[in-house]
Amino acid sequence: MRTARVLRWSAWAPGLETPEAWRAWVRAPAPLAPVGHPEARFLPAMLRRRCSPLTRIALTAAWGCVEEGQLGQVRTVFASRHGSVNESIEMIEQVVRRERLSPTQFSHTVHNAQAALYCMAAQNRQASCSLAARDDTFACGYLEALTHLEREPECLVLYVMADVQLAPRFAALVDEPESSYAVALLLGRAGDGPALRFDLDGTQRTPTPRWPHAGEFLRWLLSDEERLSLGRFHWARC
Amino acid sequence: MPNHSPCRLSALGIVNALGVGAGEVWPRLLDGEPSRLVDRDDLAPERRLRVGAVDAPLPRIPERLAAYDCRNNAMALSAIEQIEEPLARALRERGAERVGVVMGTSTSGVSDAEEAIRHEFHAGRLAPKFDYAQLEFGGLASFVADYLGVRGPVYSLSTACSSGARALASARSLLALGVCDAVVAGAADTLCGLTASGFSALSAICEGTTNPCSRNRAGLSLGEGAAVFLVQPGHGGVQLLGVGESSEAHHMSAPEPSGAGPEASMRGALADAGLPPEAIAYLNLHGTGTPLNDKMECLAVERVFGSELPVSSTKPLVGHTLGASGAIEAAFCWLVLDRSEAGVLSLPPHWWDGERDPEIPPLHLVQKGESALLRSAPRVMTNSFGFGGNNCTLVLGRSL
Repeated sequence: MRTARVLRWSAWAPGLETPEAWRAWVRAPAPLAPVGHPEARFLPAMLRRRCSPLTRIALTAAWGCVEEGQLGQVRTVFASRHGSVNESIEMIEQVVRRERLSPTQFSHTVHNAQAALYCMAAQNRQASCSLAARDDTFACGYLEALTHLEREPECLVLYVMADVQLAPRFAALVDEPESSYAVALLLGRAGDGPALRFDLDGTQRTPTPRWPHAGEFLRWLLSDEERLSLGRFHWARC
Repeated sequence: MPNHSPCRLSALGIVNALGVGAGEVWPRLLDGEPSRLVDRDDLAPERRLRVGAVDAPLPRIPERLAAYDCRNNAMALSAIEQIEEPLARALRERGAERVGVVMGTSTSGVSDAEEAIRHEFHAGRLAPKFDYAQLEFGGLASFVADYLGVRGPVYSLSTACSSGARALASARSLLALGVCDAVVAGAADTLCGLTASGFSALSAICEGTTNPCSRNRAGLSLGEGAAVFLVQPGHGGVQLLGVGESSEAHHMSAPEPSGAGPEASMRGALADAGLPPEAIAYLNLHGTGTPLNDKMECLAVERVFGSELPVSSTKPLVGHTLGASGAIEAAFCWLVLDRSEAGVLSLPPHWWDGERDPEIPPLHLVQKGESALLRSAPRVMTNSFGFGGNNCTLVLGRSL
């Protein structure tokens, strides 16, 4: 079953901090701002203190996408091309200088840090996965979310795609729009929301938009266009 | 009854401190001696660490894939090369678009990024051979796909030390979704300064060899390696029968002390496989040798299985291979099943100093030379628990 319903969505980028702002953006999409992050005041202070910009962005979108009573019930999939790489690079520099690392910083730079902090803040004990897939990270994260619906068809899956601008040392090595953002989707087999069929075709390539794939998906979701292609990955309304 | 269609782990490539390939790994796994671990003082500042390093030369990354040329990808390639023939056949028969790649990793090419930045400190720019594709997590799966010519879905999972187990779980679901007809799934991780210094900073690494479940246990020994499977639909051979998953919602680096999370993932895997606890003949523990892990894991195992199930931690033999450990320990279970004969399973022994911890329930730790006599089809289980409280348990089995 490659069909799922998008029951809710939420997104955050610098200057695009409300659903109304995103509805205006999808009518006239433009590159997203590269730097900025929200406070994420809904997080307990103890946890928030240790949250990186990426974590604050990802969890702000996550919290906006799930009703409070369901925060602890959903399965979660977090996708990010770069994850905590900016913080990892700081630590790699320390390693090269033979300096001691901060144990807290080390444990908070695992790729599943956003997922783990979500689970802690939401007291969520459901399955959770984190992934990366270079240019195809958004589509592959969506597909991984579908695998969780396959494993447990009755559940809802919260899918969060988030990234921040890459540190300058590596930014020149990566050809993509530099943005700080998160898009969250609440996916289920049943319920109120558009039913989308997902497909993969190994032969087609589409040009890269000037904003992240997740933003392009959101633009399409809120439009009346029938189909969306991002690289080899395709969505169609059922 | 299992609630999913049959899923076969039909070929295995493996590399770690025990050797390259199942032929080297299997007898040394049963021998159960940690003599292949080595002492290294280049990994963490002012510390000599005993680690499970791969000393065999790794294959060269082909020139056309030079952007991916890092030790972690060479580690994966070492495993891939062992099963190149069945992988090529699957690609030919199924079509490149119908084959996927799901790989787990927690380090990706960090060891090469360390080299690149060391070069920058001396020479003012990153080492010329460095490419971001070596460092980003997605690079591992992309390398495997580009090497093999795979054109289906390609992604890397990274949930710390449960990554490798999750890759097999996702592979099974990709088959069930009808997105793929075959998936290359596994994991690779490499020794590096970052993980050695990080786990040292957390006081999680012991002096000498890790000593799981002992009252004297004092932490883990690091390791490196890779395991890769060809995952296909259908009956026969070694099957992935069950997947269980849970999150702990507790702490970034410490497990919740009651073991409720591992208990949920083990019970979930049994339910997914449609099996009662008595059906399991052997459990490969996560068994890191840290004071907290072994205590909570053994409590959970005892609640699910009682104290008679043969269990062992194989981490004293290969070190904790972090994101690769879930795939490598699934591979050890695969070997136990694949090499079973006439209803007898030879089991990997649990190496330790033999001093029981009064706070740990007295589980049946496998002794050297021990085997299990089977009355029914063999089924075995493996546990993987990651930072952030990310747990994954797999059940593997084969018919008699």
